Amino acid sequence: MSIEEVSELASPAPVYGGAEPLLEVSDLRVRFDAKGRRVNAVNGLSYHVHAGRMLAIIGESGSGKSVSSRALMGLLPPTARISGSARFLGTDLLSLSEREMRRHRGADLAMVFQDPTRSLNPTMRIGTQITEAVRAHGDVDKRAAFDRAMELLQLVRLPAPERRFYEYPHQLSGGMRQRVMIAIALAADPKLLIADEATTALDVTTQAQVMELLLELQERLGTAIIMISHDLGLAASYAHDVIVMYAGRAVEYAPASTLFSHVRMPYTRALLGAIPRLERTPHSLLPVTPGQPPDLTALPPGCPFAPRCSRAQDDCHAEPPPFAEHEPGHWWACWHPCEVGGPAEEGGR
Amino acid sequence: MTTTEPVTDDAREAAPGAVARLVHSPSVRLIARRLVAAVPIVLGVSILTFIVLSLIPGDAAQLLLGPEATPEQIAAMHRQMGLDQPPVQRYLGWLGGALTGDLGNSLVSGQPVTGELGSRLAVTGELVGLAFVLSLGLAIPVALLAAYKPNRLFDRVSMLVSITGLAVANYVIALLLVLVFAVQFAFFPAIGFVPIGQGIGENLRSMLLPAVSIAFPLFCFYTRFLRGDLVDQLRGEDYIVTARAKGIGPGQVLLRHAFRNSSFGLLTVVGLNLGTLIGATVIIEQIFALPGIGQLLLQAINTRDFVVVQACVVVFAVVAVLANLVTDLLYAVLDPRIRYGNR
Repeated sequence: MSIEEVSELASPAPVYGGAEPLLEVSDLRVRFDAKGRRVNAVNGLSYHVHAGRMLAIIGESGSGKSVSSRALMGLLPPTARISGSARFLGTDLLSLSEREMRRHRGADLAMVFQDPTRSLNPTMRIGTQITEAVRAHGDVDKRAAFDRAMELLQLVRLPAPERRFYEYPHQLSGGMRQRVMIAIALAADPKLLIADEATTALDVTTQAQVMELLLELQERLGTAIIMISHDLGLAASYAHDVIVMYAGRAVEYAPASTLFSHVRMPYTRALLGAIPRLERTPHSLLPVTPGQPPDLTALPPGCPFAPRCSRAQDDCHAEPPPFAEHEPGHWWACWHPCEVGGPAEEGGR
Repeated sequence: MTTTEPVTDDAREAAPGAVARLVHSPSVRLIARRLVAAVPIVLGVSILTFIVLSLIPGDAAQLLLGPEATPEQIAAMHRQMGLDQPPVQRYLGWLGGALTGDLGNSLVSGQPVTGELGSRLAVTGELVGLAFVLSLGLAIPVALLAAYKPNRLFDRVSMLVSITGLAVANYVIALLLVLVFAVQFAFFPAIGFVPIGQGIGENLRSMLLPAVSIAFPLFCFYTRFLRGDLVDQLRGEDYIVTARAKGIGPGQVLLRHAFRNSSFGLLTVVGLNLGTLIGATVIIEQIFALPGIGQLLLQAINTRDFVVVQACVVVFAVVAVLANLVTDLLYAVLDPRIRYGNR
């Protein structure tokens, strides 16, 4: 079955609650054509985010989680071919021109990136990098921009903001830099904040502090947050809803509490099984999902996880399972889902 | 019991006088350290030059007196020039003079070399300075425009010009310029130099063609270099994505973010060039008959005027060392990571 045929199985995006979602992504596809190779990075991704909620998008490297969110921000290189729609505040972000997109970027929707060391301009003062974001939208004079930057630095609880304002990124610790990145992202009071592996480069203590800060800011400002991570544990602790991605599509989607108590997709179960736990026998080997992540230039006709799945049967290799709401609020794409309450290690082979 | 004010770091930093502050300033320390390191370099260059000049065949006295001179006449001339002394003694004598600012008298003209060098350096300095202003002044905007829309028409054309320019030697460009602008159209003089004292306009008119000959290959090189670095920054650096995610326009991303970071690479190249470029002036000064230091060096080599050659080479060495020092200092001024790095 070819990619084009798969698109016919595009599922309607799941909806929670009655309110109009803030962001409604449907059938998002991104591919890169370069030197005769076609990389299918995102293959029909659909989801909703509501105001004030935190959605975690979980997946391993190359699962399309980062690419899909950069596509929303219009930050992909021109070689990317994007299709589908992303309705945000009544406009389809994917249909906007670069100039129109710029009005939304940093204003309604903002992004925090993985590596705060590389994501800040090393040759510019912290303060200048924040005021630049403040002044990018709206006519703000220098004085007002300075005041706003101070306010933001206090909001993200950076110690000694008056001094830090005039310092350079290399004079700050990793955690402080990420606070600055969050301050930049919040400069124009965005309605949606995308945190792309925002805590991955930080140590565990700092990671927790930054996540707490994001949660607190969300409560105070009502910002919707999309948290992109490979860390299921982090998602379980902080997110309201979780999407698990594999090979550029969603494979399981549920409120965090449901997902972790009722895992249905074998891939999610394999991911959960790979998290070290205290109750595990010390020095025992962690279960490993065999095989490699799928080759995005040549996806198999059936379920992309089938080659690595212990539950795979003939039909899995023949046709991809639809991503559908099998239980209220719980979506998955699997022909032979796991039984609820089965052993956590069952997923991988 | 007397209570003493606790001395805080801030108080201690604020207290000392201007001298102490100067000594503790990182840039003053850097200058001092580099100047000390420059001494063996310049000394080494002067010794090497002296050895080479003692080994090469040819003799100023022989050339001055002509082929008919008798051995007695030549020996007398040698005594007069001081060439009869052993090399070590001659070198030490020269060094003693050089340290007091006296680089000796020309073997050929008998004039003091120090004064001659001063006026010649002014000409060469103006030539090199003009070439840098022209090449950088054009290369920066062209590279920025090319990087603004990579692989579009302007980018392609500018790259084509740059590659062509890099493939052509500067003396070929010099001759072409003379042919077109001096011979065909007579806008500019083909040769000769007008000092600044006789009017800045006339002075620039006599300097423009030689300066352009040196500037054009530099312009091509800088354009290519800066354009490439800018495109690399724009495509590969995370802070560029952050800047774009703020919603600022592509022009600002290019100027405020990419260019600021690319300028360090450019600065390194310019600094390296500054040291070597003074050698490139030798040919150009010869073609345009400019009374610069390059021309002086060439004449001195032809007449085996060892004193003048020695002085020129030492000046080149000093310029190269100073150029590197200035580059490092500029780095320290421009790049906050270095400015605040060694505290």
